[in-house]
Amino acid sequence: MNGIIEVENLSFGYTPQSTILKALSFEVPPGQFVAIAGPNGAGKTTLLNLLCGLLKPKAGSIRIDTADVESYSAKELAKRMAVVRQEFVPVFDFSVAEVVSMARTPYLGTFGFESSTDKDVIAEALAMTDTERFASRPLAQLSGGERQRVFIARALAQDTPILLLDEPTSFLDMKHQVGIYDLLKKMQLDKGKTIVAITHDINLAVQYCDNVLLLASDGGYSHGPVEEVLNAELIEKVFAVKTFSGKAGKSRFFLPRGKFARDTGRTAPQTNES
Amino acid sequence: MSELLTAKNLTVKILICLAVLAAVMGLCTFVGTQDISVKNVLAGPGTAPGENIDYDIFVRVRLPRVILAALVGAALAAAGVVLQAILRNPLADPYILGISSGAGLGVIIAVLLGVTWSFWAGSPIALFAFAGSLLTVWLVWTVGCLAGKSQVTSLLLAGVVVNAFFSALIMFLTSIAKSEQVYSTIFWLMGNITEKEPAVLWAAAVCILAGVVALFAISQRLNVLTFGEQQAKDLGVAASRTRAIAFGLAAFITAIAVSLSGLVGFVGLVVPHAVRLVFGPDHRRLLPISAITGAAFLVVADTIARTIVAPAQLPVGVITAIAGGPFFLLLLAKYSRKVSWLK
Repeated sequence: MNGIIEVENLSFGYTPQSTILKALSFEVPPGQFVAIAGPNGAGKTTLLNLLCGLLKPKAGSIRIDTADVESYSAKELAKRMAVVRQEFVPVFDFSVAEVVSMARTPYLGTFGFESSTDKDVIAEALAMTDTERFASRPLAQLSGGERQRVFIARALAQDTPILLLDEPTSFLDMKHQVGIYDLLKKMQLDKGKTIVAITHDINLAVQYCDNVLLLASDGGYSHGPVEEVLNAELIEKVFAVKTFSGKAGKSRFFLPRGKFARDTGRTAPQTNES
Repeated sequence: MSELLTAKNLTVKILICLAVLAAVMGLCTFVGTQDISVKNVLAGPGTAPGENIDYDIFVRVRLPRVILAALVGAALAAAGVVLQAILRNPLADPYILGISSGAGLGVIIAVLLGVTWSFWAGSPIALFAFAGSLLTVWLVWTVGCLAGKSQVTSLLLAGVVVNAFFSALIMFLTSIAKSEQVYSTIFWLMGNITEKEPAVLWAAAVCILAGVVALFAISQRLNVLTFGEQQAKDLGVAASRTRAIAFGLAAFITAIAVSLSGLVGFVGLVVPHAVRLVFGPDHRRLLPISAITGAAFLVVADTIARTIVAPAQLPVGVITAIAGGPFFLLLLAKYSRKVSWLK
């Protein structure tokens, strides 16, 4: 194997009896953009927390850069892998620039102050994510889309080969969703970053990602290139929802259709169709 | 990027703050019920003891007291900053995890037992307070860790419950104690700075300064820790270890401050907030400037406490609460981080 992330026979459960992830094996070659998809509760965030060493596997192994993830100190791991998480509760009023500058923590000495190199990296990250306009504003005053870009800027300033993201586009409107994925794609193409993103948006994954890891609720999974893995039957099975799939240009797209959706047959009695 | 902190910028600010602190301390040593003149003080002790009374008052009474107030203020403000950071709670203060009630219980036990022995120039009350606060902190920490998962919440809960339980014990013991014993205890509980032996002062100064410097060394990690345990780990900070170190150091300097001066309230809560409102939340700047500001604040408060109802003296805790509350509200209403020239 020669992946920058190698997962072998990974099993995990939060209690001794339960298992969410069962004998999961996959690898991510350097420079690949991978989507992790699957229904709620399938273990996507759990897998992300295993990858970044927050949780310990019950069985199996995770290797980052050929070494076991648990063999890294927090500092060494932070130089290899940056994480953008979903939840954020601001406690104190840090400004955007201060938040992004914290990415340099693993590189600072004891009485740590940012060197001019650190400052260049921070400035570049702010510029790439188009966040320098509000660099001196407190984080709490930003909109959801702006704040997400700030955390991506922080992940970029961490200057790691690997980027892990937990639903980077949830709560964002269409323009910002595409904006985030364009930015990630640019990082992959220009900087050769390996990107692993959890997403609920299959259609964005189809358009931007190379591979997909589709986790099912029963512990099963499918892994491979998006065009091969993602098809209507599999999605209907994994998400337990009827879908309509079609083609837009080269990409396939999927639309979920519920029982009461307009084209599925049943309509609410008071609907007045003209 | 002018927003980011540089070592040079910070050094300049710390030096300015230290100069202000020195000026405040200098002024306050010359304020008191007895007027003393600079000229007489500079003239030296004279040949026979008691010959130059001004000098004696300055060296033996005023200076030790002002230094003690500065040390206690610095320790409490620094500990307040640290606890607010590791508990991710702006309401936290140095006493939140049981130090106050533990020390108070130690003191009232010492008073009730009527212990008179002392150890290495420390009064029995100070020693009991020190032991009481450290034991309580250890208890709260152990319970908080045993309670498991969400460590911050369990720590806070354990601290609040232990505080409430020990306060009840203190009230019980106070109600069965004799009135003259109660009087000295109450003064202690309100926070009271008195003159101390030079040896005690030196030892306290070394411990508190070392504690503050050690905390400054982990201040960038405290920045990261305010984003929560997960994000701290993502950014390369070993969260549990950093929290344990920060908590241990903060508890240590608070215990020293408390054993010297009793429960001086409000400094550890108000000073960090005031400094944060003006200078921003970066702990590399917040911690040292809070320590210096806390020192100056308590020196001034103690000067007021010993002069305002002269010849009697008020417990300094009364002054810190009466002055600190409205001052803080004013600051909260008026300032935000928009005061850019101070950055």
